[in-house]
Amino acid sequence: MLNIFKYIMCIIFSSWLMMSSVNAAELSPEVMNFFEKEVRPLLSEHCWSCHGEKEQKGALRLDTRGHMLLGGESGKSITPGKPNESLLIESVRYESYEMPPSGKLKDDQIKVLEKWVSLGAPWPGADDSVPVRKDLGPDFTSEDRAWWAIQPLQNVTVPIPSASDWCRNEIDQFLLSKLEQQGLTTAPEASRASLIRRVYFDLHGLPPRPEEVQKFVNDQSPDAYERLVDRLLESPRYGERWARHWLDVVRYADSDGYRADGYRPDAWRYRDYVIRSLNEDKPYNLFVQEQLAGDELFPNDVDAQIATGFLTHGIYEWNTRDVAGQWDIILNELTDTVGDVFLGVGMQCARCHDHKFDPILQKDYFQLRAFFEPILIPTNQVAATPKQLEEHRLKMAAWELATGEIRKEITEIEAPYREKAKAVIKSFPPSIQAMIKKPEEERSPREQQLVALGWRQVEHNYKGLDRKLKPDDKEKVLALRRKLKKFDTLKPAPLPVAQQVRDVGQVAPKTTIPKKHTECEPGFLAIIDKPVADFMGSKRKDTTSRRSALARWLTQDSNPLSTRVIVNRIWQYHFGKGLAPHSSDFGRLGGPPAHPELLDWLTQNFLEGGWQFKSLHRLIVTSATYRQSTQHPQEEVMASIDPANKYYWTADTRRLDAEQIRDSILTVTGELDLDAGGPGVTASVARRSIYLRMMRNSSDPLLDVFDLPRFFVSVPARDTTTSPIQSLQLFNSQQMLRFAAQLSNRAYDDVAATPDEEKEDAALRRAWEIVFGRTVTKAELSMAKEFLNRQTELLSEQETTVNLPQQETATMPYRNGQSVVFNAKKPSPFYVADDKRLNPENCTIEAFFQIRSIYDSGAVRTLISKWSGKVSEPGWLFGVTGRGSRRKPQTLVFRSFGEKKNGAVGDEIVFSDQHIELNTPYYAAVSFHVSGERAGTIDFYLKDLSNDDEQLGRITKTHQMKQVQGNNLPIAFGRMVRNRNSFFDGLIDDIRLSSKALDVESLLFTQESVTKSTLGYWKFDPVPGMLQDSSPNQYEITHNDRIISAGNPRREAFVDLCHILLNSNEFLYVH
Amino acid sequence: MFSLPHIEVPRTRREFLERSGYGFGSVALASLLAQAEASSAPNQGLVPHHQSKAKNVIFLFMEGGPSHIDLFDPKPLLNKLAGQSLPGSFGEILTAAGESRSPLLVSKRKWKQHGEAGTWVSDWLPEIATCVDDIAVIRSCWADGLNHSSSVCQMNTCSLIGGRPSLGSWVTYGLGSENKNLPSFVVMQDNRSQVVNGPRNWGTGFMPAVYQGIQLREGKQPIPNLNNPEGITDKRQRRKLSLLKSLNQEFTDQHSRQTELGARLASYELAFRMQAEAPEAVDLSQETQATRKLYGMDQEETSSFGRLCLMSRRLVERGVRFVQLYHGAGSKWDAHTGIEKNHSKLCKTMDRPVAGLINDLKQRGLLDETLVVWGGEFGRTPMSEKGDGRDHNPTGFTMWMAGGGIKGGQTIGATDELGLRAIEDRMHVHDLHASILHLLGLDRMKLVYNYNGRPERPTINEGEFQTKLVTG
Repeated sequence: MLNIFKYIMCIIFSSWLMMSSVNAAELSPEVMNFFEKEVRPLLSEHCWSCHGEKEQKGALRLDTRGHMLLGGESGKSITPGKPNESLLIESVRYESYEMPPSGKLKDDQIKVLEKWVSLGAPWPGADDSVPVRKDLGPDFTSEDRAWWAIQPLQNVTVPIPSASDWCRNEIDQFLLSKLEQQGLTTAPEASRASLIRRVYFDLHGLPPRPEEVQKFVNDQSPDAYERLVDRLLESPRYGERWARHWLDVVRYADSDGYRADGYRPDAWRYRDYVIRSLNEDKPYNLFVQEQLAGDELFPNDVDAQIATGFLTHGIYEWNTRDVAGQWDIILNELTDTVGDVFLGVGMQCARCHDHKFDPILQKDYFQLRAFFEPILIPTNQVAATPKQLEEHRLKMAAWELATGEIRKEITEIEAPYREKAKAVIKSFPPSIQAMIKKPEEERSPREQQLVALGWRQVEHNYKGLDRKLKPDDKEKVLALRRKLKKFDTLKPAPLPVAQQVRDVGQVAPKTTIPKKHTECEPGFLAIIDKPVADFMGSKRKDTTSRRSALARWLTQDSNPLSTRVIVNRIWQYHFGKGLAPHSSDFGRLGGPPAHPELLDWLTQNFLEGGWQFKSLHRLIVTSATYRQSTQHPQEEVMASIDPANKYYWTADTRRLDAEQIRDSILTVTGELDLDAGGPGVTASVARRSIYLRMMRNSSDPLLDVFDLPRFFVSVPARDTTTSPIQSLQLFNSQQMLRFAAQLSNRAYDDVAATPDEEKEDAALRRAWEIVFGRTVTKAELSMAKEFLNRQTELLSEQETTVNLPQQETATMPYRNGQSVVFNAKKPSPFYVADDKRLNPENCTIEAFFQIRSIYDSGAVRTLISKWSGKVSEPGWLFGVTGRGSRRKPQTLVFRSFGEKKNGAVGDEIVFSDQHIELNTPYYAAVSFHVSGERAGTIDFYLKDLSNDDEQLGRITKTHQMKQVQGNNLPIAFGRMVRNRNSFFDGLIDDIRLSSKALDVESLLFTQESVTKSTLGYWKFDPVPGMLQDSSPNQYEITHNDRIISAGNPRREAFVDLCHILLNSNEFLYVH
Repeated sequence: MFSLPHIEVPRTRREFLERSGYGFGSVALASLLAQAEASSAPNQGLVPHHQSKAKNVIFLFMEGGPSHIDLFDPKPLLNKLAGQSLPGSFGEILTAAGESRSPLLVSKRKWKQHGEAGTWVSDWLPEIATCVDDIAVIRSCWADGLNHSSSVCQMNTCSLIGGRPSLGSWVTYGLGSENKNLPSFVVMQDNRSQVVNGPRNWGTGFMPAVYQGIQLREGKQPIPNLNNPEGITDKRQRRKLSLLKSLNQEFTDQHSRQTELGARLASYELAFRMQAEAPEAVDLSQETQATRKLYGMDQEETSSFGRLCLMSRRLVERGVRFVQLYHGAGSKWDAHTGIEKNHSKLCKTMDRPVAGLINDLKQRGLLDETLVVWGGEFGRTPMSEKGDGRDHNPTGFTMWMAGGGIKGGQTIGATDELGLRAIEDRMHVHDLHASILHLLGLDRMKLVYNYNGRPERPTINEGEFQTKLVTG
């Protein structure tokens, strides 16, 4: 150990050292000793494996003094003599970085390093020279500056190829001249039937109707195709297809994407805005401005407010107590997305360090983030014009005046519950709690943002207030609400709510590069070097105008990136590949464009045409290039020169994407419902896939298996995979069998007028027209007939078995396996025949369900019953009450009729008071005690499966029943027996009936199995069978009105044929 | 997933065609792989990057977060200070439920050292305690997430936020499958509640869907839609398939450049082979009474998870690369209240089956090539919650590994005196993943998938292999 004297000597010595160069000869033996014995071993053991000669994490080396002075991505690691200003010391103290990551050094070890730095970091043999680092810092090389994507658009002359009569427009001239250079020739034009199918899928995402195909094939006029294209571009189906591409890029979804994956009830307005904008052919520059800064640039335009929803589609976790951490994630995610969508450069790489391959700096990343730093995402924000707002305000005032008293009473009852709901704040970090406590006007801009984000958790609890009300209070509130309802005539219709964004005010919170503590102002890429001030516009009081500046820059004709990026995207969607290979990465890793001149010419043309898509589409799809056949007479020769078809000598055969597959199936089966717009629906509704609810954690199995993205990140191009799981889905699922049956019916319906003896042939021909848009060939016809003959023979020999395709099934969110879709409008009977054992004394009835709608009246959507509902015969039911229930709307109910303890016979209704949300998956149970310790009680259990942060809820009530008395009725699922006012609407999964009042541990929720007390256990899965009981008692479900086509094996064979058509490559690929 | 050993992803369509010739031939299986050449990418050697023992992984995921301080990491000071607040020297703590100042909760466990190595295990896990000489206990794990969703996401993908490929997908991408008739990456769970985040835990993020985990269930239909639809015979299916082949053949011939068409034909054949093989793989009736007993299948409490553990062994025996087994699916380990009751029950249902799995793998000589990983998305706090529970603790928790080249009988790292934070030999989730990959012969930096022009790597360029795992 050094004594004090040596210490002082060293300090004096080292301050001298710092002024001159350091070398071994000048270091005292004590210093050398100290370094070699204490410092070097420390560095060697704890630092050099990551920051040494072999590896340099964060571009940092710590194995020479020079490299320490140079530092890494976060700047120099030591300031000799000043430990408190040295990053190395901060890091080992775990103050900024936490180094070494495997565990903090011991205190005396840290002291050694502190001492060493304060001594001036003496290093035997080292001098003061600092090594030069390559590829770091804002000094761009000439190669960087020559990066193609940042060059201004080139003024290219359209080449004139020698075989120019093939060309239909300039696209062809560009491509043909290259083809000629390569010794390639073009393919002939595709047949009319292929062409119409191709352009329909491309522009509408749907197959053409057979009549359309026929009309087009027969239309001999030279401009038939151009007119077809115009018609397609004018149709609203166009916007529905192309919006899908944009929604992929902006990672649009209808849910939060974390555990609870909460549904976003207003997100769809943005989806409809995109569809509307595309159908209107809104110029892209305006489209961009609205989405980035609609609130600033077009404050009175409702659509522009909705457009800012773009900024809100990132994921959100409703119960994160780390409010500041979540806000940081939100802003970074937004920065990443904006980089991908508009700039087409890998900004994400630069979040942690300067881009390793492209001239993008870490500073660029945070300068981009700074544009969004001031945003605020208010909840429940209406999107309305000032006029609508004013009208609404006036009407509301009248209603408020008339209802003041009633509302006051409600508020008073709810007040204590609201206080409780606010308690969540106490689980926030103290710093956040302090911000919330501050008066609003004292909060800094950042604090306002964090308070708003944290407060969403309180709002979340407010929404669930009804569930928390004690029964007495709830009755009072419900009564008051009924009173309130009488004034509804005075109340204006609610204004539309949309997810949108505005700035927190005129002042933006600071943007800081983490760990470096460098502050950033908004800025465009350093390599492009344009001052933001040029784009800022005049100052405003309510906003920073930062996003407007970004939007203006991005929508300038002279912006080399945003303009090329969008044109390249459009090309990519038409051809399956871009002119530049990666539509969201124009950097070095993305690869250079194969046809840069064409890209520049098209971009120029797009800008001159007013940034409108439809003329660009028209230009592309009417080109001779686009119209080529997928078959080339000299295919082998061409493919040997250009196997990847980089030069477009033929058209490519492409698989349909997930939505096209589903929409095609619905089209050919004749079920497709073309209703446009509005809140998203579940996949069991036959609307276009663009209108499905896109829940990030649970997607429709059919879409999922065909590469539907999950929308966590911007998706520039869909994957196309081929897997046996897809084949199983198409070949074996109940869903596809049902589609096949429908297709078969449609084919027969369409030829209803044909005489019986020719009917099958006609239906066959029709099926081909519907599915493939072409006439069946002779060979196919005979193949099909042969199949029908043989299959009919087979099916006639077989004993007829249950045919279930008519029963719709689905996967319940948060569950595996199959559940039954009960449709209140088309109720199906699910009965289990009576058996004396099915009338137990104590019992537990359990089910998983998700309810789609409830009765407007007080009638009960029945889960399970053994009753007709007549109050003259004994029985029971378990279900969900209707909205009009005077006492308990929308809650679980167990109702029974029979002998009571006091000897009277009567009706008893017990409500659980647990609120049931629509479209939410639940486990529910009722446990009925008539004997034992707890005789006279009923337990209701309820668990929202989508929210595991909430425990299984139990409510205990009492009852007066002597016992649930038996009857000889069957057990009915999803209804009462012979009662038309009882139908369930939604999904029911596993049902279990037990002869015991089960305790928590034995409930189906925790123990999904057959136990000794299980009477029946129905899982609705294909194994052991949709209608089979999994218990040994074998109480199978009977399904009386099942549609059995088995009476006609030939028709059943025809269904098989239709099923195969839906599995065929020709159906799944477009060519 | 259904690929030849060592997936080779063609870099370009040209390369693909050169390798496969035109049309559909013997390479049909290779073409079942990622066709999306736009996003699939060159990879610096998609074969093991170095010699390794482990070929397969069985990841036993205790979902909800088991309490390390009640299972593997005894803290005498905790019981001394029980009832008091966390000492101020521990600084500010952010917890999920915000009860960071609640009194410290006593651990009622009885602790003993086990095995030759004297590894500490509590009385909740008497069976696993007998296997400690094969186990490396890591007491110093830490993660970044506070809530289940982000933490389960991180334990699967290295990232708190969804959108990245899961570890099983990376392994499948890197090593391929050894059995083309079974999925290479299989996920099973002990009950039907949904695992937090659902299937995206075993999803591929930005990679093509072929690398995703397939959920397997016991019984006649382990994979969704694997069987013929109800009431439809094999013969009828075969006839339909033969019609499909004839119809497809012509279209495929006409579009010979599109190699996917041939692959799609093959995928139906493959589906049929899976129909034969998958149910056999999960058919436990072929196992002896002794084996079944070993896994606890003779007792009601342990039979359910025992079956899954036994299935896992059968799957890795058949070349399945990565098996992820969720115990307590739906955050059942999440003991915010009543930890005594909760953990007693969960430990009971898990302990014997897991010990059975290790012993069985060992006696069959499979343990050397099978890496068994045990743990949850985080541990639990020394502080109490709601009086008798514990909150989430990502800053320090225990996981363990066995087999696959792991040196057993050791305890790596340490948490502080109350088990709150990892302090010695800290292993972040990135380090855990880097280590698992390393043990499989994969280098976290060389395993690259290009997406959106970015070279993406499994541990987001972070993490280190913890050499103590193999050297002790």
